[in-house]
Amino acid sequence: MPVSRIAFVRSTVLFLLLGLAALLAIVGAMFWLVGQTQTYSDTVTNARQQRAALIDLRGVAQDAETGQRGYLLTGNEDYLKPYLDAEAKLPAQLERVRQLWAGEAQAQGPLERLSTILTGKMSELRRTIDLDHAGRHDEAIAVVKTGLGRNLMDDARDLFDQLIGVAELRVSETVERQRLNISYLRWITLASALAILLFMGGSVWTVLLYTRQLIRAEAEVTALNAGLEERVRERTADLARANEEIQRFAYIVTHDLRAPLVNIMGFTSELETSLTAIKAYIDATDAAGEEPVARQARIAAKEDLPEAIGFIRSSTVKMDGLINAILKLSREGRRTLKPERIELEPLLRSAAANLHHQAMEAGGEIAIEVSAPPLVSDRLALEHIFGNLLDNAVKYHQPGRPMKVRVRASGQGGRRIAVEVQDNGRGIAAQDQERVFDLFRRSGAQDQRGEGIGLAHVRVILRNLGGEITLKSELGQGTTFTVSLPRDLRGFTGAI
Amino acid sequence: MNHDAKPVSIVMIEDDEGHARLIEKNIRRAGVDNEIIPFANGTEALAYLFGTDGSGKASCGRQLLILLDLNLPDMTGVDILEKLKSNPHTRRSPVVVLTTTDDAREIQRCYDLGANVYITKPVNYESFANAIRQLGLFFAVVKIPETE
Repeated sequence: MPVSRIAFVRSTVLFLLLGLAALLAIVGAMFWLVGQTQTYSDTVTNARQQRAALIDLRGVAQDAETGQRGYLLTGNEDYLKPYLDAEAKLPAQLERVRQLWAGEAQAQGPLERLSTILTGKMSELRRTIDLDHAGRHDEAIAVVKTGLGRNLMDDARDLFDQLIGVAELRVSETVERQRLNISYLRWITLASALAILLFMGGSVWTVLLYTRQLIRAEAEVTALNAGLEERVRERTADLARANEEIQRFAYIVTHDLRAPLVNIMGFTSELETSLTAIKAYIDATDAAGEEPVARQARIAAKEDLPEAIGFIRSSTVKMDGLINAILKLSREGRRTLKPERIELEPLLRSAAANLHHQAMEAGGEIAIEVSAPPLVSDRLALEHIFGNLLDNAVKYHQPGRPMKVRVRASGQGGRRIAVEVQDNGRGIAAQDQERVFDLFRRSGAQDQRGEGIGLAHVRVILRNLGGEITLKSELGQGTTFTVSLPRDLRGFTGAI
Repeated sequence: MNHDAKPVSIVMIEDDEGHARLIEKNIRRAGVDNEIIPFANGTEALAYLFGTDGSGKASCGRQLLILLDLNLPDMTGVDILEKLKSNPHTRRSPVVVLTTTDDAREIQRCYDLGANVYITKPVNYESFANAIRQLGLFFAVVKIPETE
């Protein structure tokens, strides 16, 4: 299942939010349960205190009874001490019990009765002891024997048992509730932990899915890239092969053109030699009064034939020049390049120095600014390129205007170098701007010597170096040639 | 073949008839009157030089000077040069390569294969005629060994 980036972000965020919600639920439940536990614990403590207070109170009441009985039996004041202590403690203890049970509406009734009973019991005890103190021991025993005190005590015991039972029940109920609470807590924690695990798992699963998709996509891109590089290499090799083929073609063609040219020139010379003999013969004969046929032969030998031979000669010379130019180009294309480290500034300065004389004649100067790093290229080729461009700049300056030529070399990104040759010369008309790079084509007034091969040659050399040349020009204003070169010729696979 | 009267024969392997004629004319102008045997293609020339069996025994006892053009219709002159210089019967015969090619690698290769002289045909006819005439003078004085 493909995961889109948005779906991935959405599902990851959703899972994280759900996980967070589960965590919050756990924390909330914990707080609530801890609160509950606190309440239960308070309840239990309270119930225990209630029970303890009741038991203490019962103990006090029993102590009072025990003290009374001991005294009445023995008449010894020492036995009276538990009674006296109990009598002193009882109101406070009773008050404590009342306080502890104050919040319990249903306990108020039994407590009231207990209080009355205990008050009754205490007054019964006090009466018997007072009687005994007064020496009326028999009367005191008689009071005891009525069983009133014992009945009161029994009622009190029942009430004690009833109330203690209530407290104990409360304790056990609360403990039971707390146990339940703890088990809720366990279940909630477990469920939430499961939920968190689930959401985290879902989140991790989505991330894994997405990551795997990314890895697969990356692998595809890498494979495509490799294929692309391979294709570029193939194409470059194809181009290099095509280029080599064209150059070989040019080379063969020029050679094969030369062979007939040798014949034309050779036999023209032979013809001329023969003509010399004919001319000598005609000169030897008398021109006066000769036949029309003989006169025509004289004109042919002395005028028509030399003229025809002259044209054949000049045309073959011109053709020889053209063939030589093509040959030079194809030979340049076949030349083995020697890459070496070259500092542009001295190279450009020496190219400018070679034209110093012509530049002075044109009343101008050649300024050179180099901010480019050294490059690895073929020195001879570069010398030829810049020599030619500077020569053109000087040659085609605008007469009547001080010539200004600027050469600027600068880095162009990390791997290429741009050299601009800017002049303020006569410029190149827009329609000629591509033509000037063609072989034997020239622009503007044909008032300078040249065959129209310079820029064609420059372009061929530059192609071999992995460079290119472009121009910007405005007629009458000047021309800027921009040469772009790789910083390292060896990195250019098209080099032959 | 009359070895006694004209001991040295010039074998001219040149496909361009015009060139062949101009070369012959200029050699004659230099005063060389040795027999010139022209061939317009490599196959015929090889048949003459090495015989129909290709062993080279056909050239036994001949005194040959070979003028060789490199651009031939059926093979390159370099192949012929290689065969001539590797055959025991023909390897001592001087070979003059006379061609339009002035490629440095080609020149080097021909000398490596044992060419004795390499001359580029000048397009300018005066130079051409001059070169051939000087070559003719060279032919007139050079000693050619008899092939074994």
